[in-house]
Amino acid sequence: MVLAYTPEQQAFRAEIRGWMEAHVPTEPLVTLECREGFDQHVAWERELAAGNWGMVTWPTEYGGRGLDLIEWLIFEEEYFRAGGPNRANQNGIFLLGPTIMEFGCDEQKARFLAPMARGEVIWAQAWSEPGAGSDMAAISSKAIRDGDHYVLSGQKTWSSRAAFADWGFGIFRTNPDSKRHKGLTFILFDLNTPGITRRPIRQLHGDTGFAELFFDEVRVPVENRLAGEGEGWNVAMATAGFERGLMLRSPGRFQATAKRLVELYRQHEAQASPSAREAVLQAWGAAQAYAYNTYGVASKIMAGGKIGAEASLNKIFWSELDRAMNRTAMQLLGAAAELRRFADGRVNQWLEGYIFSLSGLIYAGSNEVQRNIVAERLLGLPRVGAG
Amino acid sequence: MDFRFSDDQLTLAEGVRDYLTGTHGPEVLRALDAGPNRDPAIWQGLVEMGLPGLLVSEAHGGLGLGLPEAALIARECGRAALAEPLVDVAFVAAPCFARAGDTEAMAAIAAGEKRLPPSHAINPWVADGDGEQLVSVDPLRNLTAASAGCNDDPYLLDLGALMSAAQMVGLAEAMLDQATEYAKLRTQFGQPIGAFQAIKHSLATCAVAIEFARPVAWRAAQALEDGLDSASVHVSHAKLAATDAATLTAETAIQVHGAMGYTYEVDLHFWMKRAWALAGAWGDRAFHLRRIDAAVFGGTLPIGPEHTFA
Repeated sequence: MVLAYTPEQQAFRAEIRGWMEAHVPTEPLVTLECREGFDQHVAWERELAAGNWGMVTWPTEYGGRGLDLIEWLIFEEEYFRAGGPNRANQNGIFLLGPTIMEFGCDEQKARFLAPMARGEVIWAQAWSEPGAGSDMAAISSKAIRDGDHYVLSGQKTWSSRAAFADWGFGIFRTNPDSKRHKGLTFILFDLNTPGITRRPIRQLHGDTGFAELFFDEVRVPVENRLAGEGEGWNVAMATAGFERGLMLRSPGRFQATAKRLVELYRQHEAQASPSAREAVLQAWGAAQAYAYNTYGVASKIMAGGKIGAEASLNKIFWSELDRAMNRTAMQLLGAAAELRRFADGRVNQWLEGYIFSLSGLIYAGSNEVQRNIVAERLLGLPRVGAG
Repeated sequence: MDFRFSDDQLTLAEGVRDYLTGTHGPEVLRALDAGPNRDPAIWQGLVEMGLPGLLVSEAHGGLGLGLPEAALIARECGRAALAEPLVDVAFVAAPCFARAGDTEAMAAIAAGEKRLPPSHAINPWVADGDGEQLVSVDPLRNLTAASAGCNDDPYLLDLGALMSAAQMVGLAEAMLDQATEYAKLRTQFGQPIGAFQAIKHSLATCAVAIEFARPVAWRAAQALEDGLDSASVHVSHAKLAATDAATLTAETAIQVHGAMGYTYEVDLHFWMKRAWALAGAWGDRAFHLRRIDAAVFGGTLPIGPEHTFA
């Protein structure tokens, strides 16, 4: 165990710190969940890419820097230290990108990865359906083979980023007689293909971030299929593993929130309840614990290991931590917690953060599903009911 | 940067786990509880493994290993609910003797001849000491009043707190295992109770707490080994995280056992009571929370994403 950075890692930290300080927007961007804010965030993705910071762990031929996971963690730490904006293309770079890297053919890697890293194509995910939420194997949207095309029909919902994104990915039933996990296929599609209708859904905060997608005889070329026909479930599980596990929520995000929470407590100390002080310290401790755990996972993967169901432990931990931190902030703000904007015109980011944190326990597989996975796959308790 | 134990370290800890599993199972705890509480053969076995000398240099008859290895083995002692004073003598006192250059004490510890645990001002009592007898809730903890004129060496305190944290990680792991095994076997309403989500989710919550207490303990061990200025804060963080994980797991484990958990007959209570005892030893929860408070709000510890390993 070596818990110190090499000189090269320190030099890399200095490099990204310098770049972020010179480039990070001085004014917070408008929320991603509206056209104006989405465009601002896409512009930021392209600025990052121009600095070659789009996805540092990817090979150089796909627009990355070929760095390792420790360097990725350093990048993320500095990104959140500088207050970098949310990543408009997180579905692409953190979820689909690694999935294409693992399952895609060379042609698909060449076609999809570099534009993704450059922020030219923004990706939405399309997993859930009205009848398939936590029970994703109940998917009924179809992709029926017709010559060198699949014909997509059905409906997806809660499709993150789909209101404004360019492309989507999801799993569809290619064998209409199949049941549950079998007969599903992972397909990538241009959201502007004729026959796709997007209906943005207004979210808890009032803006439209995710959308419903309706597929009416949508023709998608066979070369947009990732991995083999009928292998969609396994591919989707790998994607979900990336989502719950290492990539989606790097520790820097929560360490930055914990630090802001300490500052907020200082400002409100005179009115704060005694329990708020301990909650703030617990937030610091939990964010640190999450960081140590992530360094452990990264070290393990770099040594050739893999993450499996442990990803569910992570997802439960960071989502509940995020909610607890933002809840504490709301308590510290007291009466001002309800304000969308403070008297000085600043957006109440703690309120926005609290609202968003509530979704964290639901998306990427609800925490109830995650606890089932932990109980059944890590502890070995019996499975009942699920097929 | 590599946040992993080496294969050698893991092999060593596995060897200790296998040894304790084979020689120090629940039946041994029950026999000790029914008898004189200590069995010289157990201590002799630990001596033959070389464990008292783990942190003593080879020149003085030890193995010359470091605090991360000791923390890994302290966790195994927790898993086995070992009552012998190995951790306090070999992993807490020995490094202090080494720092003070007391080679005689080091050699005596390595030989297994010195087994009187250290007293410290933070502990009003000590297990297996030579003072007046007290009664602990933990039936295998031979509690005695601490000797007068205790030292208040901060290094000794950090070692004690760190090794208590590591033991509590092991205690929590063992209690989760016991509750999980019970939930697989116990049948009600026509199915194992572990098939009910109420049970699954409670146990999964313990697994989360333990998963995120463990690396805090390892980080603290490495920080103390490396002599970081911030090591005390990380030790307190480890003690707090391990105490909370062990307390939660103890309460969950007894609940999963139902009425059986409330009996003296089920083994769980040995582990649960050790967790209660260690939660208060070497600085209680409030003490360690105050140390974190002083560092975080006092500004002596830099915080934020770029300071993960500050």
